[in-house]
Amino acid sequence: MKTRSKTIFLLIAAACLIVWSIVTIIPLYWMLVGSVQDSAATASFRPSMLPEAFSFAPYERFFAKTAAWRWLLNSLFISSVLTITNVFFASLAGYAFAKLKFPGSNAIFWVLLSTMMIPAQVTLIPLYILIVNVFNLGDSYTAIILPTAITVGNIFLMKQYMSSLPTSLIHAARIDACSEFGIFWKVILPLAKPGLAVLAIFTFVASWNEFFWPFLITNSTEMRTIQVGLASFVFAESTDFGAIMAGASVGALPMLILFFSLQRYFLQGITIGAVKG
Amino acid sequence: MARVEFRNVRKQFDDQNKQTFTAVAGSDFVINDKEFVVFVGPSGCGKTTSLRMIAGLEQQTSGDIVIGERIVNNLHPKDRDIAMVFQDYALYPHMTIRENLSFGLKNLKKPKAYIEQKVQEAASILGLDDMLERKPRELSGGQRQRVALGRAIVRDPQVFLFDEPLSNLDAKLRIQMRVELGELHKRLGATIVYVTHDQVEAMTLGERIVVMNKGVIQQVASPTELYANPRNMFVAGFIGSPAMNFIDARVEEERIRIDGAEFVLSQDAAEGLKSYNGREIILGIRPEHIYGEDFAPGVSTEHQMQAHIKVVEHLGSENLVYFRIGSRTVTAKVHPETKAYSNLSKQFIFDLNKARYFDPATEERIDW
Repeated sequence: MKTRSKTIFLLIAAACLIVWSIVTIIPLYWMLVGSVQDSAATASFRPSMLPEAFSFAPYERFFAKTAAWRWLLNSLFISSVLTITNVFFASLAGYAFAKLKFPGSNAIFWVLLSTMMIPAQVTLIPLYILIVNVFNLGDSYTAIILPTAITVGNIFLMKQYMSSLPTSLIHAARIDACSEFGIFWKVILPLAKPGLAVLAIFTFVASWNEFFWPFLITNSTEMRTIQVGLASFVFAESTDFGAIMAGASVGALPMLILFFSLQRYFLQGITIGAVKG
Repeated sequence: MARVEFRNVRKQFDDQNKQTFTAVAGSDFVINDKEFVVFVGPSGCGKTTSLRMIAGLEQQTSGDIVIGERIVNNLHPKDRDIAMVFQDYALYPHMTIRENLSFGLKNLKKPKAYIEQKVQEAASILGLDDMLERKPRELSGGQRQRVALGRAIVRDPQVFLFDEPLSNLDAKLRIQMRVELGELHKRLGATIVYVTHDQVEAMTLGERIVVMNKGVIQQVASPTELYANPRNMFVAGFIGSPAMNFIDARVEEERIRIDGAEFVLSQDAAEGLKSYNGREIILGIRPEHIYGEDFAPGVSTEHQMQAHIKVVEHLGSENLVYFRIGSRTVTAKVHPETKAYSNLSKQFIFDLNKARYFDPATEERIDW
């Protein structure tokens, strides 16, 4: 009886997952199909699920009408810088909170953590005023990068990961005449590689997909990221579905490739801190 | 190599409720040059904290710690010229055994040739020659333990610190490593401070043993001295397996009365216990000093009493016989040919010349 009920449960679970997968994949598939066929075919009353008259013309139009290469480069640059700054600072802070004793460490950590409770919308306007009016940094890479150069969420993630590393290694390194930064650099960082990889991938994906802040802080076409540029293109060319789909594909494809090639790190990221060891 | 000295060293911690907890309460002792000293005691007795204070991984609340001729209170661990072997080995998992062994020397900026020579020396002492390019995860527990030892040896430190290094090994390997550690001490002629909760390890390895309880040093003595003349009931009960028996007794003139039986004291004991006349005391006697009346070669049969056997454990080389005297369970370690089984009423002989007497109020040994 037990085996039978287990089989039924597995069948139901599999059916639900298949339905869910289809619901998730269809928009992506539709986007890819739309990007390689004529706009009229995409907009037709009974659209076909297979591309009619396969063509890369929508991509040509998208790249011809926009500064897409520049936007892609901007996105790549900003995401890369944010990944580096987050990995570096979050691992340092995470290590300090997890392993070093200093007065008020718990209090500081909880204050930092409590800032995660404040919705981003609440701080958006003060942040905008700070960046544009006070620091006079509007419409620049610095303006896009600075607010998320290190995030509390990433510090928390790293603290959880670092906590699982044995403290005796730090003590051993200290006795082995290693400097405090040497301990971090030569002992802790190599051991934290899986955690750092997860952090890097999550940060890169989040930065690549970030829309609202770059949209708010940039004015000029050449400072836009791919997501912001795409939005402006959609407003301007609302009927050219083919080119819109091509743009959306260009924006999404790097992330899809990244996801599929580094899938195991994504799964690892979900369980960080859940199981010690 | 060097001596280590604690001068009234205290260590207090604040727990989560801001309550002050005293881990080490004013320790004073000297570990001599080239001596192997073992700190032993139950969990939380302050032995590991003492070791970590010598290493510089914990800062004492007050008092001075001396290594060699220097007061090292404010010195960083790397400047104390010590090496430590950790309970979980603490090998760097991402480095090869060679890198693990040479890590400390590289940090000290020693010349390459010197490092290589030291690593080779340590590897050959510990039989690690063909494992130098492996990672720690490819080694067995015993081999990892050797690497941890090697990492300490290459440093040529003034003092070796061992924090329960054998506790993660299985029983057989532990005995093997214990012998190897003893040999290593002789070979290196090093000052070694060793922490363990295992009294057998302490007795077999230590030239002197520091017994600690609740942050207080109970006794510092050689293994034989600790065993024969424990200073108080804690030491008497902690050292020795099975533990020393404690039996309620009453001094009456030149005799002691135990649960209805009456034993005549030796002249020395009678003199020593004079001030306890008419009072309760605790008689401490080791299990091997109680004999079955049918197998007590060369022992005076003067002090005998009848007891009802509860349980007998057969260990092959000896039998452990459990019986009750008053409210206390007493263990006798008897020869396997002694006739003993559950529910048998039997005459037991007590070798009172080997017994020790304790004050029930202070739990200190009564001396004379």
